[in-house]
Amino acid sequence: MDIHLQTTTSLAREWEQRKAFVGFTDAEAQMLLELGPVAETYVDEVVEGLYRQFLSFGETRAFFPDEATLKRVKALQRAYFLQLTQGDYGEAYLANRLHIGQVHQQIGLEPRWYMGAYSIYMQLAFPRVMAAFKHDLAKGQRMFLALLKIITLDTELAITTYIAAGEEVISQQSREILEISIPVVQVWAGVLVTPLIGALDTARAQQFTERLLDRIVETRASVALVDITGVPTMDTRTAQHLTEAISAVRLLGAQVLLTGVRPAIAQTLVHLGIDLSNVATRPSLEAGLRLALDMLDLQVMHRNGQR
Amino acid sequence: MADDSIAIVRVRDVLMIAMPADPDDATVSALQEKVLQVIEQSEAKGVILDISAVETLDSFFARTVAETVQMVGLMGGRTVIAGMRPSVAITTTQLGLTLGGAMTALDVDRALDMLSNMH
Repeated sequence: MDIHLQTTTSLAREWEQRKAFVGFTDAEAQMLLELGPVAETYVDEVVEGLYRQFLSFGETRAFFPDEATLKRVKALQRAYFLQLTQGDYGEAYLANRLHIGQVHQQIGLEPRWYMGAYSIYMQLAFPRVMAAFKHDLAKGQRMFLALLKIITLDTELAITTYIAAGEEVISQQSREILEISIPVVQVWAGVLVTPLIGALDTARAQQFTERLLDRIVETRASVALVDITGVPTMDTRTAQHLTEAISAVRLLGAQVLLTGVRPAIAQTLVHLGIDLSNVATRPSLEAGLRLALDMLDLQVMHRNGQR
Repeated sequence: MADDSIAIVRVRDVLMIAMPADPDDATVSALQEKVLQVIEQSEAKGVILDISAVETLDSFFARTVAETVQMVGLMGGRTVIAGMRPSVAITTTQLGLTLGGAMTALDVDRALDMLSNMH
């Protein structure tokens, strides 16, 4: 699954906004560049400290099953850490951070471990930065604050990738739900049954109406039993879509029988002032079917002659 | 001429009119005139308006049809609108257009059934 987090112009602009908001300016970039050589001296200790923590926790240890993997990720981590102080924080940096976030999200690392790692970074880096600038504590403080800002920005980007992944799943599922077309089944010559399930948003209502009308033409149906047992609530829009569908069916010379109207829906429809006085309704699909057959002058009889 | 583009066929005491695909306002108006004339001449009891070729239905058409249904009624006849396409039905309801409560049928066959059942 590819999350579309390329550095588009809007993302790039947003990046500048984020930096401005937390107060990350060229001054900070300069300071981090200056911190660079210092970072090189303690990067290995920090990486070791980080992985000591990862390996001491069952949930995170699981991501490093063997020595080879451990070695590989430590190297990547080292590179990541050093990039914090390489001085260029433009689109390339943004793209890199987003990519790393995506990778972690895709391997299934939960946000709490990913974010937690940033905290561990800070805890390991702080004393080392202060030690390196012990002759000028004010500068050390400024250095650390610059580091803090860039790490916070990285954390924000990580959150963005996780949210984007979640949203992607949601929109994928929405698309799938829309594609599940509502069944319109011919249960007898001239009689269609369609169980409406869930809410009817405009897109689904359109799909439903088109499908129902096409099936009426296809099967030359005169009755369409629309069962709304599976519709939990109805708002004005859904009710309107339903009445429009009913009218459209009538224009094709067929009739809608509404079944399965739950008490809550009955209340809603009356309160909304929806006029369904010219729509036949029955409490159940079975009752609806009886009426439909009746309308077609059909009768169901038992073999021994009883009704 | 608008008058000539509408074919009205009489089958027993039913008049069948097949509307062309995209009738202009003049054609639609001429329809009304023609129908009433023919009903008078033939004493037909029913009118079937076959709109299976019609792809778009605007408010003028809808209004004229509704009026015609009423006029035919006053002259002792019943009208059935047959063969409306699904897409036209959807647009008609979305625009809130009514056909004056005219009877509707899936196709001309059904329309004939409806009219014969009424006698």
